[in-house]
Order: sequence, then structure tokens, then C-alpha cells
Amino acid sequence: MEACNQQRALIPSYLDGELSEAQAAPLRKHLLACQDCRNQAQGEKSLKAWFRTEGPAEVPEGFAARIARRAFDGDTGEPVAPLPAQNEAPILRFVLAATSVAAAVLLILAITLRSSDLPSSDRLRADSDSPQQLEEVLRELDRVNAKAALEAERK
Amino acid sequence: MGTPMMEPAQAEDSQLVQETLAGNRMSFQLLVERYEGRLFSLARHYTRNPVDAEDIVQEAFLKAFRRLDSFDGRSSFYTWIYRIAVNTVLDVMKRRGRSPVQNVEDPELVGEARPVSCPAPDAGLHTQEVSEITHRVLEELPEIFRTVLVLREFEEQSYQAIADLLGISIGTVESRLFRARAKFKQKLLALYPEFGGA
Repeated sequence: MEACNQQRALIPSYLDGELSEAQAAPLRKHLLACQDCRNQAQGEKSLKAWFRTEGPAEVPEGFAARIARRAFDGDTGEPVAPLPAQNEAPILRFVLAATSVAAAVLLILAITLRSSDLPSSDRLRADSDSPQQLEEVLRELDRVNAKAALEAERK
Repeated sequence: MGTPMMEPAQAEDSQLVQETLAGNRMSFQLLVERYEGRLFSLARHYTRNPVDAEDIVQEAFLKAFRRLDSFDGRSSFYTWIYRIAVNTVLDVMKRRGRSPVQNVEDPELVGEARPVSCPAPDAGLHTQEVSEITHRVLEELPEIFRTVLVLREFEEQSYQAIADLLGISIGTVESRLFRARAKFKQKLLALYPEFGGA
């Protein structure tokens, strides 16, 4: 069993042609004598059968001439921009534009509201003054009315 | 000390590289013609779309052209351009969201690989059908495993060549191949349980 474990570990390298003759000879001898290890080797061979070559790869016509021309024209062959960045660009542009528009609208609103708060003349107005100022205005009105009434009585 | 002996093709490649660097476009075209088939062969194991495969090979050759002055002739031009092609493929896969080939932190990847018996393809299946199934299964594997299987099984690269291409040790190539094959068998049976009946 120990011999089997040792030899089995060598089977993939043996089938890959990577063993020296000094390693391969005892393994071949062992495989002739051991059915289990032969089965193991057969399984490894079965796996290799999935990697059949489909024949020579097809090369597009004029490929070499095209590449040589492009190379001498200074084409680096590097992707101009990574694919994700290309996808993100329109979204990013939209977000930036929308943010700029929103900021401009907010600025205009703030200026408008601020200017509407400022008094439009020197005169005090009841609808926009503080309660203390209103009281003063009312007192002034009372005084004016009282004075007018007094003068009317005198007449 | 004499100059190391070069294979005739290697000497011709070096000559073509020098001529390209001197500004001869036709020499670069000849270099591309020599190795385009092998690079397309590699690319088709990562994408079944011919346009995508062309993009990958094109990117690899243009990258090689830009770095041509760094080719020192210590390795063959084929080894040099093939390494650029493998790295280009892995870069493209990374850009598409596939995990990098050097990533071994995932416990699933470093865990114990259970031996699974593997059925052979049905004798009635055509090469094209077998290839479709194999690539469908490879697509499901982590990049770390797909690449060693592609390089070993389709491209028939030696362990040493794979180690050099990926910048890992031969021992790592062996263990990675062992796990990759176990994963391939598992995924094959998970995706195509009909092959498990034999």
C-alpha cells in the first residue's frame, strides 16, 4: 500500500512526460503488477482526452501586415479607457450637471429671500416690524390722536 | 568564451528583431507571421469569441513591439513573446473580473484536493463538441487552475516552461496541476452528470 501511494503520486508527472527514466522505470514495473494503480493511471489518461486540440487556430487574413502597420504608426494597443470608466462617464456627467443646477437654484433662492427681508424704505411698517416697534408706533399714533382731540376741543 | 550556439530559427528571430529596431516594418511583420498562430491558439482557450481573441493577440504583439529593445536574446524570441501573450491574457481576464493567477489565498484553492475518477469523453462526441464541453468547464475554474491546465494540456508546455511563464516553482506547478485536474473532474461531473454514469 505504501508502495502504491508513492507510485500513484508520480502518475500525473509520468503521463506528462516529466519523469526521468530512473523514476519512470520503477513506476512502469509497478503499473504492470498493480491493477488499482493501472486504473488510476487510466483515469488520468481519460482526463487528458478532454483536452483534444481542435487543429490550428484560425488567423484573420492580413493580420501580421495590419499589426506591423499599426505598430509603426505608433499604436500602443492599450485600451483607451477601462470599460467601467466608459460606462460610468455619462452617469457622472449627469450627476455633476444636476448638482451644478441645484446649487445655482439654491443660490438664487437664497439671494431672493434675503433681499425680500430687507426694508424697502426708511419708513417703519407695521407688517414687517418687531412687536416693540409696533407698540411704539401705536403709542405715537395715540399721542397724535390725543393731541388732535385736544386741539379740536380748544377750537 | 564563445557566443552560445543558437538554433537557426532563433538566430533569424534575433536578426529580425534587430532589423525591426532599425525601422524595418517588414521584419516585424515576418516576426508576427511566425508566431501569430501560436498566440491565437493560446487566446482561443480563454475566449470563444474570435474578435476578442484577435484583440488579445493584437495587444500582445503591440506590447512586444513597444518593449522590443528590452529583448536581450537570452531566451528565444518565442519564449519572450509567449510570456508577453500569457501576461496579456491574464491582464485581460483581470480587467473582466477574473481573479488573478497568483492568488492562492482562497481556502478553497489551497484545501485538500479529493481524487475523483474521471470519465473519458464519449466515443460518439466530435472533437468540436468535446472542446465546447472542456472550455465550458474551464470557464468555471478559478484563473489559477485554468491557466495551468491550458498551458499543460492544450499548449503542451513543460513544467519548467510553465514555472518560468508564471514566475512560480516547479513544485508549485505540480501541486497546482494536481488540484486543477481534481477541480476539473468535479466541475465536469457537476455540469454534465450524464458523463458520471459509466
